[in-house]
Amino acid sequence: MRANDAINGLILILLAAAMIAMTSTFPAFPGQPYGPSLFPRVLGTLLIICGVLLMWRGLAARRSGEGWVEMAAWTRQPWRVVSFFLMLGSLLLYILVGDTIGFIPVAIVILLAMFLWFGVRPLSAVVTAVVATFVIHWFFATMLRVPLPRGVLDAIL
Amino acid sequence: MDAFITAAGLVLDLNVLWVIVAAAAFGMFVGAMPGLTATMATALLVPVTFFMDPVPALGAIVTATAMAIFAGDIPAALLRIPGTPASAAYADESYAMAKKGEIDLNLGVNLVFSVLGGMVGVALLILCAPVLAEAAINFSSFEYFWLALLGLTCAIFMTTGDPLKGVTSLVFGLLINCVGIDPTAGHPRFTFGSVELLQGISFIPAMIGMFALSELLRGAVSVDERNVVLAQKIGNIFHGVWSVFKKYWFNFLRGSALGVFIGALPGAGADIAAWISFAISKRFSKTPEKFGTGHIEGIVDATSANNSALAAAWIPALVFGIPGDSITAIVIGVLYMKGMNPGPTVFLQNPQFIYAVFIIFVLANLLMFPLGWAAIKSAKQILRVPRNVLLPIILLFCLVGSYAMTNSFYGVLIMLVLGIIGWLMEENGFPIAPAILGLVLGEMLEQNFMTSMIKADGNALVFFERPIAGVLGAVTVLVWGLMLWRGFMGRKATLAPT
Repeated sequence: MRANDAINGLILILLAAAMIAMTSTFPAFPGQPYGPSLFPRVLGTLLIICGVLLMWRGLAARRSGEGWVEMAAWTRQPWRVVSFFLMLGSLLLYILVGDTIGFIPVAIVILLAMFLWFGVRPLSAVVTAVVATFVIHWFFATMLRVPLPRGVLDAIL
Repeated sequence: MDAFITAAGLVLDLNVLWVIVAAAAFGMFVGAMPGLTATMATALLVPVTFFMDPVPALGAIVTATAMAIFAGDIPAALLRIPGTPASAAYADESYAMAKKGEIDLNLGVNLVFSVLGGMVGVALLILCAPVLAEAAINFSSFEYFWLALLGLTCAIFMTTGDPLKGVTSLVFGLLINCVGIDPTAGHPRFTFGSVELLQGISFIPAMIGMFALSELLRGAVSVDERNVVLAQKIGNIFHGVWSVFKKYWFNFLRGSALGVFIGALPGAGADIAAWISFAISKRFSKTPEKFGTGHIEGIVDATSANNSALAAAWIPALVFGIPGDSITAIVIGVLYMKGMNPGPTVFLQNPQFIYAVFIIFVLANLLMFPLGWAAIKSAKQILRVPRNVLLPIILLFCLVGSYAMTNSFYGVLIMLVLGIIGWLMEENGFPIAPAILGLVLGEMLEQNFMTSMIKADGNALVFFERPIAGVLGAVTVLVWGLMLWRGFMGRKATLAPT
């Protein structure tokens, strides 16, 4: 997804302006004019300058015929779009239900779903998903002692 | 000398050696797989090294990256796809050689000159770092402020064809770094009342997102692409390498020297070194017309340069805490996590760690010979690993890795958000490396800026009063001026026809 630089510039300007506005609530220190708000303000101003230059450039490109947003070729093939969002959705799923359901079941579901969608044969998909999940779990939870969420395993074991 | 013996003792431990060998194999694999880069290898390694002692942790990163930079040459020859961006400069040349039937010679030269170039880089790292550290011991906040700013400036000046987008990316990275408790007054900024945001945007999950997740997203939409490996048998790769060395020893020296120089510059790393040395090789070649037809000369330059740059990038990282490239940016993050704040004081307080890094670099380059040979011999099997199995597993690895860095879902969330931002940035032509450097150097820059401002009582001229600070400041201002001028002239040139 390639947006015209005018759009990119506008987003950056809005972001920088919001950040600068937020710095007004930061405390100042008596007798010392350089508080926690100075650095973000300097950066925010720089980002606004960059944004303006980008908008300038984007509008020039727009006048010479560039579109506002250009989608890459793969976005016209629905299954590729699904692949893209499957990756993001998997992470979101883990963030949302990982704590209650636990790492092992969620990881198996994520891997299995992606393997099957990407066209791995069902039997090897199941085997690889289970083996990979347990190897990674063993490595991080047992070897490195990362407290991966246990979730429903707590109820079973 | 005592420190050296301690260091040798630290490295030559069975556990450490085991970690080094495992990391080497991992680096070879990641480097040889197209789409998986050396930076990504480092980002994926960090969550693992987080739980190790400093020496094995650094050993794993040094070894894995050295291997990955070499291994990137293998698919360049076999597939015409560079395994890492550092091999992109001569992928076409390598492939042309392979098609001419000179694949053995190509891979042999790549391996041997990668090892030799790496050794040159290490030698200069060993020679220069302690000397520079001695000079750096007298630096105050002014010098560090200018150094950090100069480093960030170089990152833009060297790496991007589009300085405006480079600057934007850098400022964006610095602004993200402002989230959390501010370094001078301890006031929480942009945290929206969230306890987790108080610690700031955790650097490692951000890295994993920007370098690994964004790469996976690109991979996911082209997962069905099949790689067509050249159907050639790989024979004795060392045959004829000696005569190449005798003929092109000067290219090797020039490439390595250039690699060291570019690597040591903050912000530019192995890939830039390879591009520039390849271009210089062509420019000064007696037979420039042979370039592009499968000619070994430029490959000698570039393959030496990218490996020597890798080691040289550690010079500014260890001495000043300013990363030489995106890999050492991660390393600096790791050093901070290990409580070894990079800078000249490490050379005084913990010299054994510095020596350990040196020893590991030498070991890694020696290890490259047998492992590189094995990787070349098994290249066809490695390249046959199906991407549709690999990508989901790497995704799971990213997920667990970023979770492990914060022990909470906060890490995964950062990874997800910055992964999407990183992907959007790449799609729109904003380079990622400056943003990451901004994220790493932001705190150092702000701290030294604020300290200097308070010391100078707001008088900008004081920033130039100390001699070294003055020179560094002048150079920084000069580079900015040059960049603005170039941007201005460039604009004039582009506006003129319309």
